[in-house]
Amino acid sequence: MTPLLKDRRLIVSALVFLLFLGIPAVVHDTFALRMCTEAFMWIGLAVTLDVMAGYTGYLNFGHQAFFGIGAYATAILMMKAHWPFPLALAAGGALAAVAALIIGIPTLRLRGSYFAIAVWALARAIQQFALIAAWTGGPDGMRLTAFLDPQFFFYVMLGIVGATFFALWFLLERAPFGLKLKAIREDQESAKALGLNPTHLKIQAFILSAIPTALIGGVFAYWVTFIDPGSTLGDLISDQAIVMLVFGGMGTLIGPVIGAVLIFSFKTLFWAYLSQYEVLYIIILGAVIAASVVFMPDGVLGKFMRKGLRRAARPESAPPAAAAGKEA
Amino acid sequence: MSLTKSAIFATIATVMAGGALRAQEFKIGVVVELSGDNATGGNVAKRGYDLWAMAVNETGGIQIGKKKYPVKLFYGDAQSNPSQGAAAAERLITQEHVDLMFGPYASSVANAVGPVVEKYKIPMINGSAESPLVWKPKFKFVFGSIPPVNFTGAACIDTLAHLSPAPKTAVVFGSNDTFSSSTATAFNEALIKQGIKVLKFNIVPEGQDLTPLLSAMKGLRPDLICFGGHDEELINLVKDLHQIDYTPKALLMHYGVTEPAFAEALKGDANQVFGGAVWTETTKTSSKILWKDSQTYAAASLKAFKVAADYTQGGCSAAGIAFQVALQKINATPPLSEAKREELVKALEAVDVETFYGRIKFATDGDYFHANSGISSLTVQIQNGVVKAVGPAKVAEVPTQYPMTPWAKR
Amino acid sequence: MELLPQALVDGIMLGAIYIAIAIAFSLVFGVLHVIDFAVGEWIMLGAFAGFYLNLWGKVDPFLMLPIVFIVFFGLGYLLQPVIQRVLSGHKGNPLLMALVFTFGLGMIFRGTAQTFFGFYSHSIPSHFSNGSFYFEKGSFFLTISSVRLAGLVYSGVITLILNYLLRYTDFGLAVRALAQNKEAAGLMGVNNRRTNKVLYALYTGITAMTGVLIGVIISVNTKMGAEYSIFAFFVVVLAGMGYLAGVPAAALLLGIIQSVFLVYLDPGWTLLAVFGILYLILVVSPTGLFGKGWV
Repeated sequence: MTPLLKDRRLIVSALVFLLFLGIPAVVHDTFALRMCTEAFMWIGLAVTLDVMAGYTGYLNFGHQAFFGIGAYATAILMMKAHWPFPLALAAGGALAAVAALIIGIPTLRLRGSYFAIAVWALARAIQQFALIAAWTGGPDGMRLTAFLDPQFFFYVMLGIVGATFFALWFLLERAPFGLKLKAIREDQESAKALGLNPTHLKIQAFILSAIPTALIGGVFAYWVTFIDPGSTLGDLISDQAIVMLVFGGMGTLIGPVIGAVLIFSFKTLFWAYLSQYEVLYIIILGAVIAASVVFMPDGVLGKFMRKGLRRAARPESAPPAAAAGKEA
Repeated sequence: MSLTKSAIFATIATVMAGGALRAQEFKIGVVVELSGDNATGGNVAKRGYDLWAMAVNETGGIQIGKKKYPVKLFYGDAQSNPSQGAAAAERLITQEHVDLMFGPYASSVANAVGPVVEKYKIPMINGSAESPLVWKPKFKFVFGSIPPVNFTGAACIDTLAHLSPAPKTAVVFGSNDTFSSSTATAFNEALIKQGIKVLKFNIVPEGQDLTPLLSAMKGLRPDLICFGGHDEELINLVKDLHQIDYTPKALLMHYGVTEPAFAEALKGDANQVFGGAVWTETTKTSSKILWKDSQTYAAASLKAFKVAADYTQGGCSAAGIAFQVALQKINATPPLSEAKREELVKALEAVDVETFYGRIKFATDGDYFHANSGISSLTVQIQNGVVKAVGPAKVAEVPTQYPMTPWAKR
Repeated sequence: MELLPQALVDGIMLGAIYIAIAIAFSLVFGVLHVIDFAVGEWIMLGAFAGFYLNLWGKVDPFLMLPIVFIVFFGLGYLLQPVIQRVLSGHKGNPLLMALVFTFGLGMIFRGTAQTFFGFYSHSIPSHFSNGSFYFEKGSFFLTISSVRLAGLVYSGVITLILNYLLRYTDFGLAVRALAQNKEAAGLMGVNNRRTNKVLYALYTGITAMTGVLIGVIISVNTKMGAEYSIFAFFVVVLAGMGYLAGVPAAALLLGIIQSVFLVYLDPGWTLLAVFGILYLILVVSPTGLFGKGWV
């Protein structure tokens, strides 16, 4: 394992993060700050999705459920129980962790495709529930007290996404946990033979992907000041995150960041300056996904950047499974 | 003069000219759903705002004192998503520096845009959002040219309740989205008030096939069927009723009945369906501003867009007229300073004007703060493929056709 | 209680439509192992094809079903090799990649449809839409609409044809061989590539025809795809992925669940029940109600 200070990718990421911290000092345009905040949100969603999809090999088509749980928990606790934002946010994260545990135990026993559909069905069920329950406001949604401070949300979102990124970096790229997940992804049976407990690991990964997503959802609720089942529990969230992830490159942490930034920039430019051709955007997005899968299965990262980065970070030790087995 | 100097002069001159030009027009931001689930409605709203801008600019612009100032619209696509609506509003305000704002088609987006315009103190008029919840926060800078749906619902039930033979029983359904469920709730409450027995009141998931529900209800033989939903669901409901061969005495639905797609898709089956509206092309109105009555507006719309106008489009054009009148009152010239915009809010609150759409007078107290309380709702009925007003009595153009002719006999 | 026969009949009528949607989908999944996320968009495209053909040709949509089938058969035949390429990829998980690919494909279809067909809803008129059968005996009454009955007949015919194809033709033999063991089938002389293409084309053709049917019974709209994809998944999973014989039962069950909720319980809970049941069944028995799905 490359020593901490020599891990080039990590150093670069840390520098980029520090750079982002300085943005509000230089950029005062509130719209630009808003766009940056949203970009961070998508980075966070793509990266957390990758924990399950790329590292563990389980594509989560119901990712938006955690986002929605965080959003609604924060909204309900703040508006009905009058909790302060940080506390409500944390509660949302905790709730998502519990939900991930409860959902994960039965659902993660299933194979890849079945898991994808099962968790998608569950997410839709949760959305339906939000639509009919009285205390979520039903189809009318919920309003939060408006607190429109662009810098506040910029830092909160950057903070959460940044912390998530680096925490995941340590857990997935530097600690044995990541190798263990990859072992399960490659060959679950062999992993078991090496002494790993796939179910435990999968559930841990699931919880790990759920908590930041819920936190992001909570911030989203307070930031936009209005949530409804369509915008927080609908397919919009997970569809775009999947596109960003596949396009950027699954199985790494930098891939989804690249994918999120590229797709989000493209989408925003289109939306801001070409809005009369918005329908074309759907066609282009679909074409991008289809083309990525056919021509760039490893995403942008795999196609263009793999070679350079691989040299910087290749561990000198034995294949992943064995290494994981040794340290298990 | 050297080349560099003349280049510099030219640049300064252009910038100044541009700046001077900029001060010659009113910039209005338009946040509408150009894509996504509500794109149909969003485009209707856009047409309304566009038509007003075109008409005003044809006369040279809004007359302030001796000068005329044209208007320029800047669009932001809300993508049928509240957070995108808020982002679009912010972009229009901070980057395009709009003086005023026109609101979106859907109430959910309007809910998210409200805090943004309130923060930047940009007056906004919603031409479309009908949910009563839009008015709850009592934003100072947000107005609406359209009354909340509960008024429209109550007016329709009132007309139906006075038909003869009087309906005694009813069933009410609504799709589970914010607008449709508000509509259904409004129908339900009004029915109870009129003493009509509501045999069934259900909110159903969006897009659900209702045949089993309707078959079950057929046995109850309700006189009235009232349904709140969107265009596709309205078409499905009529088709389902035809398929199970049940014709109630009256079928009441809300927005979507007035859309041409409804009559086109259903052909003869669309006839005699009742709907609620705030305005139709034949409503009796008279105005001195831009269009002298409904028919003039309808003709202008047909000429410009080759599509018949409905009340959402009318409401959006009327929103423009409200701005126009208020701006004239305070002699405002662009660009509008914050102080001037505050003054504009007061002027809007004092507006009381007759337009092609009807009377515009924004409420200054009560539950529907800044909604248009000057206009009253109509009950319409499709007769021979054309939407006609049939209630209240003093604005009825034609007598109602009641009870409905059974499907099989059409 | 008098409502029960009607509720059951309505549920069966609803289920008939779902059979049509799911049966070809299940076949494709069973053999090609492709979960086509674009199934709803194929239905949508078929519905629009039916709508415009009827508008211009003034012919009853039921008579135009063969045309729609041929057109979409051709489209599927041409498209299948691209999907095949994705499936035979060596990177990542090919099945997951295929899923994502069809997802992108669905978006392309939807965006294209919205560009050219707009956002309004339409209905396809038919001679069958005007009739219904009514039985009454004492307090027991039953209404069956002709057009939905036609839908039931359509589903039955399609199921029987597919069944015949699979059991009694060489093509069917090839398909079943492929489903069991790709390599062995190839060794036995089955032309894998062509069989795959024909199979996928069959699926798109049938699904598009079903779209026309839905346009007649329900309505046509560029956004209708998502909803039918959901029902297709539900039925196929419930039946057991790739287990064709389970599809009719699963589809009818879905129809009856919806019907029961609408009539006897709170209709607002219908979709919650549908998704909840789908989830529970997957968790308890991923191989479907009959335990015969592809594992």
